[in-house]
Amino acid sequence: MGILDNKVAIVTGGSRGLGKAYCLRLAREGARVVVADILAKEAEEVVDEIKAEGGQAIAVKTDVTSEEDTVRMAEETVKAFGRIDALVNNAGFYHGMSRGPFNEISSAEWDKMMNVSAKGTWLCAKAVFPQMKKQGKGKIINVASEACFSATKGLIHYTAAKTAVIGITRVLAGELGQYNICANVIAPDVIDTPATRSYVNMEKLDASSVPMGRFGKPEDTVGAVVFFASDDSDFISGQTLLIDGARRVN
Amino acid sequence: MGRLDNKVAIVTGGAKGLGKAFCFGLAREGAKVVMAAHRMDEESTKAVKEIEARGGFGVTVDVTNEESTLRMAEEAAKKFGRIDILVNNAAYYYGVSRKPFYEVSPEDWDKALAVGAKGPWLCARAVFPYMKKQEKGKIINLSSEVAFSPTKGMIHYVTSKAAVIGITRVLAGELGQYNICVNAVAPGYTDTPASWTIGNVSKFDVTATPLGRVGLPEDVVGAVVFFASDDSDFISSQTLLVDGARRVH
Repeated sequence: MGILDNKVAIVTGGSRGLGKAYCLRLAREGARVVVADILAKEAEEVVDEIKAEGGQAIAVKTDVTSEEDTVRMAEETVKAFGRIDALVNNAGFYHGMSRGPFNEISSAEWDKMMNVSAKGTWLCAKAVFPQMKKQGKGKIINVASEACFSATKGLIHYTAAKTAVIGITRVLAGELGQYNICANVIAPDVIDTPATRSYVNMEKLDASSVPMGRFGKPEDTVGAVVFFASDDSDFISGQTLLIDGARRVN
Repeated sequence: MGRLDNKVAIVTGGAKGLGKAFCFGLAREGAKVVMAAHRMDEESTKAVKEIEARGGFGVTVDVTNEESTLRMAEEAAKKFGRIDILVNNAAYYYGVSRKPFYEVSPEDWDKALAVGAKGPWLCARAVFPYMKKQEKGKIINLSSEVAFSPTKGMIHYVTSKAAVIGITRVLAGELGQYNICVNAVAPGYTDTPASWTIGNVSKFDVTATPLGRVGLPEDVVGAVVFFASDDSDFISSQTLLVDGARRVH
């Protein structure tokens, strides 16, 4: 018996890294999971993993920057599982992004970042809204970053997009409260995933500014997603929760 | 099987209102609960009996008195062998004055700050040696939505609830090395007997609350269970509002 029994959750960017960890844990808590990702083959692999553990899941190839795709993602979810209880807007442009100073980021990369992380979050919320409204309940969990709370160097497009996600969440919380739909944000710090390792040497990263003395693993972030997806957070909306070992406060 | 099986939790101000809801919520998840109350009046005694039926026990504590907080921790450890969770819920709220800032008496100010700010600090001090030895612990401090609002009146209460956030941040900074997480939960106006001493809860204007209603004690329990559970092991120094999206943080 899990705390998400009978619930249906969509995780965008669910095929790798943090998104994959969310999919696996949500399924272990009893949710039927929709692995939505632009990477169709990898998404199917996550579905297979969930099924091997006895869970239920489907993969839906989704480009979150395409409204048509996000609408289809919602439709296929309802077709397969009859409802949508939680949306985890995890898809973002992170793997392979530039880390240069603000005056060296290309305009094209800025646009891509804003499209995937900010517009994608909004479009996916739009897509699931009619179903959640009909149900009289829903949970939207958006993913920002510890970078939004720091005087970061580099990553201006990433940090701007992730901070935009906090703005999106607040408006969604304001507009959707009347339908009993909650929208909240989790903001993880640097987490040890293959994408992070593509540009950071985790072993050499200085954790002396982290009170808990280490950087996070994907498993460290899944509990907050489960909490915001569960009935335990039914009166919590518009909030941002950092997952960073107390490095920043909010 | 609960999410807090085998864990031991102390809840101050645990016999009434929100604190009582926390005690039963934690017990429901499998925790052994120490219901700490300032006064064992008829209502508190009844609540203690109920928590005893769920494997817990009651203890009298004055959170403003260091000796008393040390005894509370000792009794918890003696009875259950460990202390995993401290919920700093005790506050001077029942019947608190809503007068403007220039009419609140210095005595009232001192009482609000003693119970609401010094209390959480003393209780954290009291449980720290046990949590340090266990190399893990969870401290959950109760702040309030009023610390995030342009409140009118209750300057002493609001100040104590804002101070709780400062206490939370320093404790998180100092205790992270011992794998002790410290977070704050900030409820909005919640329907408890104490809230009724402040105003008519049923007439509270919820037009500015997106979720469209006043909170119930049960609404706040989930956040406390989350911060008490292993699901929040890498989350510390954070403040989570539980107020139906009235404020954002």
